[in-house]
Formats: sequence, C-alpha cells, structure tokens
Amino acid sequence: MGKLEGKIACITGGTRSIGRAMAEAFLAEGATVVVNGRDAAKGAVALAEMGGGPNIAFYAGDSSKQSVVEGLIDFTIEKFGRLDICCLNSGGVNMTAPVAQMSDEEWNLEIDWNLNHVFWGMRRSLQHMIPRQSGRIIVTSSVEGKLGKPGIPGYVATKHAVNGLVKSAAQEVGTLGITVNAILPGIIETDIVRNTGPDSAVAMGLGTYENLIAAFSSEAATKKPNRVEEVAAVAVMMASDAARNITGCLFPVDGGTLPY
Amino acid sequence: MGSLDGKVACITGGTRGIGLAVAKAFLDEGAKVVINGRDPVKAQKTLDELNAGANVFFIAGDVMKREDCEAIVNGTVAHFGRIDILVPNAGGGGDPGPVAEMTDEAMEVPMIWNFWHTFWTIRAALKHMIPQGYGRIMAMSSVEGKMGKPMVSGYVVSKHAINGLVKSVAHEVGTLGITVNALCPGAIETDVMMAQGPGAAEAMGLTYEGLLDLFAQQSAIKRINESEDVALVAVLLASDAGAGITGSLISIDGGTSPY
Repeated sequence: MGKLEGKIACITGGTRSIGRAMAEAFLAEGATVVVNGRDAAKGAVALAEMGGGPNIAFYAGDSSKQSVVEGLIDFTIEKFGRLDICCLNSGGVNMTAPVAQMSDEEWNLEIDWNLNHVFWGMRRSLQHMIPRQSGRIIVTSSVEGKLGKPGIPGYVATKHAVNGLVKSAAQEVGTLGITVNAILPGIIETDIVRNTGPDSAVAMGLGTYENLIAAFSSEAATKKPNRVEEVAAVAVMMASDAARNITGCLFPVDGGTLPY
Repeated sequence: MGSLDGKVACITGGTRGIGLAVAKAFLDEGAKVVINGRDPVKAQKTLDELNAGANVFFIAGDVMKREDCEAIVNGTVAHFGRIDILVPNAGGGGDPGPVAEMTDEAMEVPMIWNFWHTFWTIRAALKHMIPQGYGRIMAMSSVEGKMGKPMVSGYVVSKHAINGLVKSVAHEVGTLGITVNALCPGAIETDVMMAQGPGAAEAMGLTYEGLLDLFAQQSAIKRINESEDVALVAVLLASDAGAGITGSLISIDGGTSPY
C-alpha cells in the first residue's frame, strides 16, 4: 500500500530532472500523475520510460504561459476527476545577466516562469481544492529563495517571492485541509542547469560551468550537489496524508547550505 | 522492506510522547531501536506496548547527567553493534518566569536537559559515526528554537543553542556521510507539556488551555501538532534520501515559524 494510493497529482515540468523524479516517486507510491513539458516528443519518451499505463499522462505546453499552467490543472481534473497534489516545479533562467545588464525580456521571462507560473497554478488549484477541503501544493523553490548570488538577480528575486507566496497561501488555507509548502534544493545538475549553466557561470563571474557547480557545492556542508531523488522524497512526504500538519514550511534540501 | 532496514537508532526519552512516536516509526521501517528513560517500570509498559521483541532495547538513564548520556550511546553500540541514527529527544523547561527575576537554576535546568544532553550524546555518537563513515543525527529542537515567548526563556535559549550546534556540526562532518539536522515542532500535548504547561501558562497569565490555544492561533492550521508529525520527518531524514539534507532546521509547526 503506497503512501499516495489513489491520489491525483500534476507536475509542471515533469518530463526530466526534479519533476521527473517526483513523478516516478509519486507513481511508486500509488498516485496517478500528469506531467508537463514544452516538447511533446520528450513527453512521449518520458511516458514510455515510466511504463506508460493508465496512471500517467502528459500535457504539453510552456509553463511560463498562464493558459498552459491553468490548462494543465483543468486537464488533470477533467481526465482524472480531481486534483489532490499540485507540484509547481518548473523554472530556471534563459540568458541571465547582472542587474545592470539585465534585459527586460529575460527579466519578464523569469518572472513568468518562476513566479507567475506558481501563482497561476496555486490560484487555479486552490479554487478546486478549497471546496473539497483537501489538497497539497508543493512548490520547487531554491536555496536562492533565501540567499543571493551575483549574476542571477531574476532567479534570486523570483525564488524569494515564491517563498513569500507559499507562506501567505499556507495561512489562508491552513484550516481547510490544504497544505502549501516549498522545497529549497541546493544546486542539482538538472537538464536546465546543464543547458543554461555555462552562460549563467559567465554572468556570475565564475567563467565555466564546472566552476559554477563547484561554487555552489563549496557552500554546502556536504561539498557536493544535491540529487533529484532527495527532493522527490521530501515531496512524497509533503504529499502524504500524514503530513496534514506540515504547512508553510520552506524545507531545505541543500546539503547544509542555508543558514536558516 | 522498510526504508531503515538494518539500521540501529538511539532515542533519548522514547518511552512516551515524541520519542515514542519516533521509535514506533523507526521500528515500522525495519530499524532496531534503543529507547531511554529514567524509570524502568514506565519503560516496561512502553516495551509491552511496542511489542517489538529483540528489535527494541531499553537503557535507563538520566540525560541530565553526562555519564548517563554517554552510557546510552555507548550502550546502543554494545547491544546492537553500531549506531546509525541518534535522536537526542528528551527535554523540557525549567521554572517559568521573567528573566529579571530568574534564578540560575531556572536557566541551568533547561540548558542541561535540552542543550548539554544534546551536545553530550552527539559528541559520543560521532566517535562511532565518524569511523564508520555514516550517521544520521536529528536533534529535537522546537519552534521556540527559532522564535521566543516570554517567561520561558530557558527553554527558548536552550533550543536556539541546539539549532546553532546542529549547524556547526553539520559543517564539520558534512563530507563524512553524516547528516545533522534539527526538528522544530510546534506545541504538542506530550506528557512533558501536560506536566509543565500549566506552570508556564500561569507565568504568562494564561490558563493551560489558553496556552495551547495561543500556540494553535499562531499557526496556519489553528491547532497544535502531534507526535506523529515529527516521526514522519524523522523517518525521511533517516532514510537514504536524507543523505543530501543536513544543517537544516525543519519546521514541523503547522506554519508558525516565519522561516
């Protein structure tokens, strides 16, 4: 008997990396999962790799778009009858730069992708969860939701913002059977980090991708990056019925990086 | 197949309240567990209730004594052959009252009971965990390790001190396969709370029910926590997935703490 038997979950950005690990962990605990991603081909591969089957579905679209985020939630409810667990997980940067050189285009992308996507997803989920007096919202934030680093101001600002959103929403729905929590991973070598890391390293004054990974790792007590499975395990715990009294929590998975 | 199969855990306190809930959860996940308490008679009731045979072992001892703390840890290794998981869990408050009128003893009791006992057991456990290159330490802190309330400064100070200890030790042993975290629960109606809550409440000008309600109203869930909430997180941190989680002060408080 899994910890999430019969639960219906959706995950933004679930074809690869952290979201994928969450999807696999949720499936292993008995949940039904809808994953999302921009690329339908990648989505098909992800479904196949996770064994296909009636307990998993893919919803294509860019999670920095309101219609896609709301569409994912509506699709999940239409296809599987309800939504118990909403993981607002996708995010990142494209071509980051220090504030002085930051383009409006990049800034707006990061606001949409990292912050607005979480707001849109949370609002739509809550409108469904509040009448049912039951739900779990899990936001993938970051250590950069509590710290700051040069060269990634949009990422740092938006992750701080989602932490605030989580705390407010948790208080709003705390007596309604709904929990709202954030997971704050340290650096993880996800696809997005591998793809955009080299450019981010330059913007951060670190030169190379390897230096970027080393800089983040050196701040951790473990002196190494984190793993997607660690984040997924925390998500399973937060998603379970047993976690009904854990809310408004900013849960670090960062090898000891954060001071608080 | 549990997530803690073959692991050996040592929990101070453990005959009642949060420690007992953690012990049950660890046993359910396949661990062998040492529980501790001052009173062997009370402990026998707990052992009967746990009904876990040779997988659970009781070591009597008063955690306010250093030699007892060391004997609990070393006794775990002597009995089960190793120690993988340490939960310095016992604790409570001193005589409540304002700092301006506080006796030395009112500060010393919670500092020894909460902080020194945590330090003594962690130090003793690390002597085993560092050579074996593996360990999971979960110190019992509190929402009062991050916040403060009037009239219970000894409790607040000792729990803040535990959080500082956890952060320092986590960095000392971070590359050695050992994680060190603090669990920060909100108010839970344990036996210690039932015994000490009325006095603390009176010092704050509240009834006991009023004190519990104060804690509840500060949370998002508007109710106090339960021992099982803490056990849930303890199992997670003790599992393989907990390898990358260290130096963290995990709030298990229904949304009370601001960070």
